[in-house]
Amino acid sequence: MSELLTKHFAEVEEIKKNGNDYIFDIDIRPNRASDCFSHMGIAREISAILNYQIKRFPSVKNTAGKQASVKVEVLAKSACPRYTARLVKDIKVGPSPKWLSDELKICGLRPINNIVDIANYVMLETGQPLHAFDAEKLAEGKIVVRFAKDKEKIVTLEDQKFNLSPDVLVIADSNHPIAIAGIKGGKSPEIGKSTKTIILESANFNPQVIRKSSKKLNLRTDASLRFEHGIDPNLTESAINRAAFLIGEIAGGKTAGSVIDVYPKKVLAKMIKLDLAYVERLLGIKISSIEIKKILERLGFEIKNSQSKIFYVKVPTFRLDVSLPEDLIEEIGRIYGYDRIPLVSPISYLIPAKRNLNVFWEDFVKNVLKEAGFIEAYNYSFFGEKEAKLFGYKEKELVQVENPLNQEYEYLRASLIPGLLKNVEKNISNFNNFKIFELGKVFKYPLIEKRQLSGLILDEEFYYLKGVVDLIFEKLGIGDVWYDEHQPTPEQSSQSIWHDRKCAEIKVNGKEIGFLGEISLKILSVLGIKNKVILFDIDFEKLSQLSSEEQEYRPISRFPSAIRDIAVLVPKDVKVAEILNKIYEAGGKAVRNVELFDLYEGREMPEGKKNLAFHIIYQVGDRTLSSSEIDSLQRKVIKSLEKEQGWKVRK
Amino acid sequence: MVKIDLKLLKKQAEKEIESAGNAELLNDVSKKYLGKKGELILVLRSLVKLSKDERRKIGSEANKLKDFLKEKIQAKMEEVRFTGISLKESEWIDITIPGKKPFSGHLHPLALTKRKVEEIFQSMGFLIVEGPDMETEWYNFDALNIPKDHPARDVWDTFYLKNKRLLRTHTSPVQVRYMEKNNPPLRIIVPGNVFRHEATDSSHEFQLFQVEGLMVDRNISVANLKAIVGEFFRRFFEKDVKFRLRPDYFPFTEPSFDIAISCFVCQGKGCSVCKGTGWLEVAGAGMVHPNVFKNSKLVPKNWQGWAFGFGLERLAMLKYKINDIRLFRSGDLRFLNQF
Repeated sequence: MSELLTKHFAEVEEIKKNGNDYIFDIDIRPNRASDCFSHMGIAREISAILNYQIKRFPSVKNTAGKQASVKVEVLAKSACPRYTARLVKDIKVGPSPKWLSDELKICGLRPINNIVDIANYVMLETGQPLHAFDAEKLAEGKIVVRFAKDKEKIVTLEDQKFNLSPDVLVIADSNHPIAIAGIKGGKSPEIGKSTKTIILESANFNPQVIRKSSKKLNLRTDASLRFEHGIDPNLTESAINRAAFLIGEIAGGKTAGSVIDVYPKKVLAKMIKLDLAYVERLLGIKISSIEIKKILERLGFEIKNSQSKIFYVKVPTFRLDVSLPEDLIEEIGRIYGYDRIPLVSPISYLIPAKRNLNVFWEDFVKNVLKEAGFIEAYNYSFFGEKEAKLFGYKEKELVQVENPLNQEYEYLRASLIPGLLKNVEKNISNFNNFKIFELGKVFKYPLIEKRQLSGLILDEEFYYLKGVVDLIFEKLGIGDVWYDEHQPTPEQSSQSIWHDRKCAEIKVNGKEIGFLGEISLKILSVLGIKNKVILFDIDFEKLSQLSSEEQEYRPISRFPSAIRDIAVLVPKDVKVAEILNKIYEAGGKAVRNVELFDLYEGREMPEGKKNLAFHIIYQVGDRTLSSSEIDSLQRKVIKSLEKEQGWKVRK
Repeated sequence: MVKIDLKLLKKQAEKEIESAGNAELLNDVSKKYLGKKGELILVLRSLVKLSKDERRKIGSEANKLKDFLKEKIQAKMEEVRFTGISLKESEWIDITIPGKKPFSGHLHPLALTKRKVEEIFQSMGFLIVEGPDMETEWYNFDALNIPKDHPARDVWDTFYLKNKRLLRTHTSPVQVRYMEKNNPPLRIIVPGNVFRHEATDSSHEFQLFQVEGLMVDRNISVANLKAIVGEFFRRFFEKDVKFRLRPDYFPFTEPSFDIAISCFVCQGKGCSVCKGTGWLEVAGAGMVHPNVFKNSKLVPKNWQGWAFGFGLERLAMLKYKINDIRLFRSGDLRFLNQF
């Protein structure tokens, strides 16, 4: 049975044995709550799946003749499409019989007394919530359905006090609210031992109204859950009759007169036009019209013209979820069995999918970093107040979460760096050295959402990571990369996460694309990281825009190259780039490449000086350079270097 | 008269060649017999004293012997050369010493899984499309036929943001975003982050990676969905995978399904991994709801299609046998280093 229900209806999550019975815990999806939050609903499903007949409830007899009935006044008409009530006299309130209290307990309800228990039991059976009032405790014996007045109060059966507001629907007598409609009964007309006459309520309420009230009062009950999902208004009558019957059987009550029924706009069955060709087209299998008819009828649908290829299907009013042909096709498909539908490859044009360049460059860069020994992390897209402050973000720059999971995740992250540093904190006890990166989205107020690429290394030289960044640019075919000294404004400087003298702005074609540098010791000490951390942080949207797969082969020169070394002693504050520029300038076209191979600032150096050594590679494309030509070029270079104040070429 | 005994000479030379153990000794032997002042030359010189007939006879024999010895020496030379190498090769290495691995990094298991999924669907003509993480209520809910103030919305526990956006709870909004701008026929997959406001445990996360699929054309059916999904599973898990559709509910598809695969661990018999059911739920799917077409500005009666969505974590967990979903975003290198 569980298998069948799961296959054709809804997942049976758990089965428990209870004496000779089995308890099924079924995950009813919200669309079927309206008819299947009840034993009747499940019974109907089983009867449809197995093609069994379903039993009907016995009918209720009038036992008290025509007598005074209840006055019901529905003021909030759209909030209460139907209100059905019945007066039951001469009842004896007491504990429920064992079978009844057992059934309630199994279904998770607490037995109270026979009257309340019957109301609850019928709710479980039919899906229609019911309520019972002590008729003698109502002012003027009258029931009014209206919205609460401002500042009205109610005390519920559980002694909870609620302040009501005009958007909460209530059931009142002529003076005060006696129940929060569709949610909870009030204390004042509670059924007690001395109760002799009751008014049974079986009403239909607007789902949105109940949902709003329930949210507002923060009160969810078995009744409100059912009303929120919508219930068939035509159910009230059979449910109240069922309850009246059981009260007669169990509590000796006499039902008085016919039902009081305020039902101004009767809900009628919908009709749906169902094209059988569409059924076949959507499911991808031909099911005979006879079988389709049988399936639908077993579920309670009626078919008017079953000879035609187009059915007119009458939908039972309890199926609030069915209003389109597609809804009917689902009914047919699931009862027929989705496993009987074959696998058929779609017939479609063969268009090769275009490459998604975003994804392509992401994969590409990730591969480069992986090959360079980096480990990829996926961190959460959030950070907390602590990170926001530490990394110098102002609240107005950040996207704040209205309902954060906790303080750690109060904002959407504006940077990948806090996450990567967290990774360092977490792993440093297990690994003394690693390289790590992330490529992910960062967010800024109001609506900026973009991809960023950041990575870090521990206890290494700045130049090592600079080399990695150069490698990325090279592989992505991006030239004209320049590292500029970051010149922060005084305000930026106090906030900066970077070591302000060991940090560079990365520029491509003169435009900033990211940063590279050492993380400030201030930040590291707050995070308790003792290692030196070098990090790069690149705008990936810009990076992937610049990327290109185009690459041109440069012919290998037939003529040999010659290498000459040169060592220069310069003041400490001279940048390598300055020396390189001089060499290229002086050497002209014949200088194919210059490589720095040594940098020394040790104690043996003259005060304030450092020594730099370069390989200069001389080569031209159309002939072999003679050694005298090279010597003269080299002399030119040396001369040009020594022109600078305080520079000296070592010989 | 000197008796010329070529037979003896041959015997003697063969013996010496044989016993020469290296190239140097062999060169000496060669010199001794074939050199300018070698034995054979001496023989040939001594022939002057003989008669014409005898000269011719012994001369040809001596020449034959010369060729023979040349060959012999050459063969022996090859031999001693290899002997030299084989002597060097007798040094040994311990092949059980662990190798020195070049250091390489690691990609995240979700990145690897994502690549695999994308590769399979791209080969079937699906385009990869993306959408924003910060989404409007319209695209995340209303356009997908999930009305306001409806309990169906409660199924998605949502993070709301203070910029009038929310964090998308699924990748399905991209269905509408894409169909607004592109007319069918279309085949797309949408990988991306999704967020659920829920407590975490070993099988629940508040940030997940989802992949959405959408195929729309004139006559796309449930049978087609089954074919594509079946092909995907076969290629992803690299074996035939039994799967089933069972009824489910999503407001943006009708009919709606839950897709489950037969449990790998117990082969469908029921175990703790599949909670005794024999099946592992991996995806939600269904036929695109007419209201979704309408909200994408397409005429519903002209188009049919299916959509599915699955969690990449779930697939990765099954593929790599990972038992705790929180590991993915833990940043723990002991985990990440394994991929």
